Amino acid sequence: MALLNIENLSKAFGALTAVNGVTLEVQPGSLYSIIGPNGAGKTTLFNLLTGQLPPTSGRIVFDGQDITGTPAHRIAHLGIARSFQRTNLFPALSLLDNVWVAAFARGRSWRGLAWRRTDRFHEVTERALAALGDVGLSEKAHQLARQISHGEQRQLELALALAAAPRLLLLDEPAAGLSPDETQKMVALVRGLKGRYTIVLIEHKMDIIMGVSDRIAVMHFGSVIAEGTPAEIQRNAEVRRAYLGGMAAG
Amino acid sequence: MSRAWLVIVAAVVLLPVVVRHAIATEIWIFAIFGLGLNLLLGYTGLLSFGQSTFFGSAAYVAGYLLKQYGINVFVVLAIGVVVGAVSAALVGYLCVQRSGLYFIMLTFALNQMFYFIAYQWTSVTGGEDGMPGIGRPAVLGVDFRQPLAYYVFVAALFLVSLWVMKRIVESPLGKILQAIRENEVRALSVGYNAPRLKLLAFVIGGAFSGLAGVLYAMLFGIVPLEAIGFVFSGNVVFATLIGGSGSLYGPVIGSFVFIWLSESVSVVWARWPLLLGVAFVIVVLFFRGGCVEAWARFWSWRAARRARVVPANADGAP
Ligand SMILES: Nc1ncnc2c1ncn2[C@@H]1O[C@H](COP(=O)(O)OP(=O)(O)OP(=O)(O)O)[C@@H](O)[C@H]1O
Ligand SMILES: [Mg+2]
Repeated sequence: MALLNIENLSKAFGALTAVNGVTLEVQPGSLYSIIGPNGAGKTTLFNLLTGQLPPTSGRIVFDGQDITGTPAHRIAHLGIARSFQRTNLFPALSLLDNVWVAAFARGRSWRGLAWRRTDRFHEVTERALAALGDVGLSEKAHQLARQISHGEQRQLELALALAAAPRLLLLDEPAAGLSPDETQKMVALVRGLKGRYTIVLIEHKMDIIMGVSDRIAVMHFGSVIAEGTPAEIQRNAEVRRAYLGGMAAG
Repeated sequence: MSRAWLVIVAAVVLLPVVVRHAIATEIWIFAIFGLGLNLLLGYTGLLSFGQSTFFGSAAYVAGYLLKQYGINVFVVLAIGVVVGAVSAALVGYLCVQRSGLYFIMLTFALNQMFYFIAYQWTSVTGGEDGMPGIGRPAVLGVDFRQPLAYYVFVAALFLVSLWVMKRIVESPLGKILQAIRENEVRALSVGYNAPRLKLLAFVIGGAFSGLAGVLYAMLFGIVPLEAIGFVFSGNVVFATLIGGSGSLYGPVIGSFVFIWLSESVSVVWARWPLLLGVAFVIVVLFFRGGCVEAWARFWSWRAARRARVVPANADGAP
């Protein structure tokens, strides 16, 4: 059974239909990529999945449960975590506190929320440190998020999602704004996560995802115009047309 | 015990020797008030301009109970804390969904509403004349009409309040509120119901304000109408910013500076608010973290100077 079913999901902003009747299925343990030119509606699709925006129509089913319209702060507790395309951290908190807060939200119990000292929550701290370790930021745990480089902030962005111990990981262009070197590092990082989590990955650059994805959906003007294995997508003429057109514009 | 606590305990002991007991007492009361505000202002990033709503409501309720029934001090304090928390829950409920200027204006407007209720309801509050004749019943044979005895009582409650607030800001809630201050969208996304947690911050802050309000009513034997007015709300924001909203101890230092200035300097110079204005401008322009930051910067500046001097001597360089 699929872990995530998106059924005929649409979102209209006035006259603009940013997401138009999208239907997809993500199998547990797989890496599912969504590609498409600028403005195709990829981020909007994530915003619908995570409750940041209510859909205009359609259904989202996670692990057999209809979660359409669940508010954003409840989504994390279902085991869905996301990273953002535009870095979205807690700038004045340390790296450790950034991930700690994300880890605590998903802790076994909130008992002692306003009274127990944070260092008494061993399980949470361990999970937070592990998430920093996963992205290679352990050494900088006590620096502030605003003090590290853009590339490191992108890694921290990912760590925040990992700290929640999610069952479904939604990554929105983790390599956005990275140099070629940093991009290589990020690709390796995501590759390392494959198999440990069920992942939906939004990515702009075709070459990055061909090697890592199990399946790929191509979005264009809000609709999925092609869906299949990397090999199938590569052969698809419509994709080539949409993509070349879109990329030339973008 | 940390150095900060040693300094505070020393201040608690020395203060009544240096200044009048009433002023010394008022400093710690105002510090409790500031601690409550700073959970909102410093930690959650919510500039509440209506804290006297909770302070004043608790002061009136406690004053009324003391006057009419002369009930036990601890019971009155507990009731004051509850009144502060409940009024803060009401105000908070209406405010936490707003942000920025709307939030500030709404806390201010609701404060005004409570003010006008107190102003109009003269049969209970005494309106403009205030609610006089509030006693300080003895506790366990200790006569609280003795200024020093009351000072010790208030100072002890302040230390307890400070300890409680320290626990709160060092708990997960402290971190979460800071996360909400830093980035509410992300805080929601990682799984926090930000409005609900802001409301919790309001309630806790209101409880502290309520405690301060009751102690204030008992200190002066009267609840003046100003105790629920916006100037009072402004003063606590002012004092906290001057002390430093970024730290647990900021509002304590701010209260010290503010009350001391307003009580001492106002006697010799009627235009003392000017001095506060200047202090405020300096804080806003140079030390966003208030006295606490100024102090930290002074020490790091000294340390840097020493570090520069020592190797120069060792090398024998000019
Ligand atoms: N909150 C919003 N209100 C109005 N229009 C929006 C909103 N969010 C997105 N849009 C519009 O919806 C369309 C899809 O945007 P979206 O951000 O989902 O694209 P994307 O595929 O993520 O693009 P990119 O590759 O540039 O990140 C765009 O035309 C955008 O302007
Ligand atoms: Mg996008």
